[in-house]
Amino acid sequence: MTGAENKAMQMIEIHNLKKYFGENEVLKDIHFNVEKSEVVAIIGPSGSGKSTLLRCVNHLEEPTSGEIYIEGVLLNDTSLGKRSFQRHLNRIRTKVGMVFQQFNLFPHMTVLENVMEAPLNVLKEAKEDAERKARELLDKVGIAEKAASYPGTLSGGQKQRVAIARALAMNPDIMLFDEATSALDPELVGEVLKVMENLAEEGMTMLVVTHEMGFAERVADRVVFMADGYIVEEGKPAEMFRNPQHERTKKFLADVAHDDV
Amino acid sequence: MLDWGIIVHYFPFLVQGALLTLKISVIALLFGFIFGLLAALLKLSPNVVLRWIGGFYVWIIRSTPLLVQLFLIYFGLPQVGIDLGPFMSGVLALAINTGAYNAETIRGGIISVPSGQMEAARSLGMGSALAMRRIILPQAIRMAIPALGNNFVILIKDTSLVSTITLVELTLTAQRLIGSTYKPFEMYLMAAFLYAILTTTTSVLLSKLETKIAVERR
Repeated sequence: MTGAENKAMQMIEIHNLKKYFGENEVLKDIHFNVEKSEVVAIIGPSGSGKSTLLRCVNHLEEPTSGEIYIEGVLLNDTSLGKRSFQRHLNRIRTKVGMVFQQFNLFPHMTVLENVMEAPLNVLKEAKEDAERKARELLDKVGIAEKAASYPGTLSGGQKQRVAIARALAMNPDIMLFDEATSALDPELVGEVLKVMENLAEEGMTMLVVTHEMGFAERVADRVVFMADGYIVEEGKPAEMFRNPQHERTKKFLADVAHDDV
Repeated sequence: MLDWGIIVHYFPFLVQGALLTLKISVIALLFGFIFGLLAALLKLSPNVVLRWIGGFYVWIIRSTPLLVQLFLIYFGLPQVGIDLGPFMSGVLALAINTGAYNAETIRGGIISVPSGQMEAARSLGMGSALAMRRIILPQAIRMAIPALGNNFVILIKDTSLVSTITLVELTLTAQRLIGSTYKPFEMYLMAAFLYAILTTTTSVLLSKLETKIAVERR
């Protein structure tokens, strides 16, 4: 297979990715691909670099070295000038939706305005089209009745579902979830996971950093275990959870299982 | 003790002066806000030269007296061929001065917006200018309203300094009336009363605005 064909098939392709924060090497030579419609769960202890890896995929973190291709296009293209690189980033980011642990809804806008903001001002959609799509998406995540509310009045689970709708309003090809349920009260986790699960069933390409092992096992096509800046092992969820190969993975899964009791 | 007849008779003249004070204040306030916003953005720019320009402006204005700034513009600039006249000079000096203080206030507001807001905006494909305008500034300005209000009140009181460059605003009106009536106590009391009206109205309007925003977001 030639390199070009390979790139055309992969939604995300990462080569030799390294990331330093000062002296601290948080990502150590990561190689990693995600195919179309694939759901990949990244698990691992805190400080393993999994969130940093996810944030590199839409350049919220700048890789120290290595290449990241999004749908075959080099994301961290250092040959571009400052301005054209920003335009290049904005173009790619419209195709890569991101959901944050802390929701990051815009508090000065209503739920509907939150969802319409980027379609109106980035994609320059007509107001009626943006509003129709926003209402459909809010309906899809089960929160249509809150369209006129401000984020401050919503529960964490509702906020996160709005945040998902806001990301989907850009018609992304890839969705990134950065511990999307970690800031939620336990009883609100399910409603957000349900929305994510539906999205996976619809064929969305998803990269999900999560502590929800049940979700990873049930929904993911592949589970990646990270520790100390490395991908320690990856595989089908069933194999990974029942028969982990590495000591580090076994220990982590045992610790997590212990926490659940 | 007070000569009430004098007060009643001359009050309308002082109101006339107060109207000029109000006019100067409003114009200086608007331009001062714009200068402050621009300087705040300069100081937060990734470009070191722009940052330096913003920092220099804020530093030089805050470390020199307003009266000296006013005299530099009104008496100094004509020497190099720029004669703005008393009104323009007064408004410009006040706007430049309050702008430097607004810059620090607005910069503080921008910094206090959680970094996740910018990240969320950028992750939706918004450029940094668009994200600043649509997402960061609306939140930053709202947070800065109480401190900005404080700057506005100080600005209104500082307008009394332009009485030194022949602008017949509230303070100079009082001084002139004292020249003909020899009643400094009554005249300055009336002037003080009118300043208090102007500043208090400003404070009340701003706190109304603040409450309105808070209610909207509930």
